[in-house]
Amino acid sequence: MGSTLASARRGVSVGMSRELTVTAGLLAVACVLGLLEAALPGIPFAPWLRLGFANIAVVVALAVSGGRMALAVSLGRVVIVGVAAGTLGSPVFVIGGAGALASLAVMWALSRVGDAFSPVGWSAAGAAAHMLAQFLAASAVLGSWGILTLAPVSMLLALPLGALTGALARTIVSRLRIC
Amino acid sequence: MTRGDRLLIAALACLALVAWPLASAVAGGRAGQVVMSTAEGETVVPLSVDATYEVQGTAGIVTVEVHDGTVRVVRSDCPDHTCVRTGAVSTAGSVIACVPNGVVLRVGGEGGDGLDARIR
Repeated sequence: MGSTLASARRGVSVGMSRELTVTAGLLAVACVLGLLEAALPGIPFAPWLRLGFANIAVVVALAVSGGRMALAVSLGRVVIVGVAAGTLGSPVFVIGGAGALASLAVMWALSRVGDAFSPVGWSAAGAAAHMLAQFLAASAVLGSWGILTLAPVSMLLALPLGALTGALARTIVSRLRIC
Repeated sequence: MTRGDRLLIAALACLALVAWPLASAVAGGRAGQVVMSTAEGETVVPLSVDATYEVQGTAGIVTVEVHDGTVRVVRSDCPDHTCVRTGAVSTAGSVIACVPNGVVLRVGGEGGDGLDARIR
């Protein structure tokens, strides 16, 4: 009886420590990808547009574990990159956080509706939601709606970029046995 | 990529394409002036007069240059310089934003010549 309980406890703790390790690993990958991407020069005429490679780690977390791990990776990245870049609490941080949360909400909802959508679809829709939320947050922060004119073209560009990062995440999930 | 993915991406692309002219129309107005909005308020300057403006942002000074009917940010006290790298814009509805400074430059603007529309 006692030994059964002990091994059951051990089973739980091994599962939890494995989840913690995978979360920490994916969070580190997300931070490195985000910082690397920030160091790349932007595209002329659309320097606010990013490839969104950090989202690969979030999609992998969502695919192998679920919303909880994806939330930890996504929010953890926003806060850590905020501290590293010194933007914590600034408008840039608020706008980036709004985008990350909106993107995760959309991707999580799509991942819950069964097999209709794959990580490619989650990531593409998440990228579009990220853009829309960023521009809405930027309008609110700046107190000017003019910036919203950039939202539709950004969403259009975000779709193929999101599909690309989603396809990369799917490849990683199918090649690696993470969980 | 599932059938659902393709339908979802196509639907979102259509939505963005429909929203594109709508968004430009809402914020558009006529070309020929630059609306500079900051935390303190809005200033409207003509696009036809070459000039350099020092705009006070929340993180420092944003230097705006109007030249040959285009507007650009020449220098800005901000960490990422997205505003500077946006380059020069001139068409109605174009936007340059310096988020750390809370400064938005928009070509066009409401009011203007008092006409509702102009057909060329």
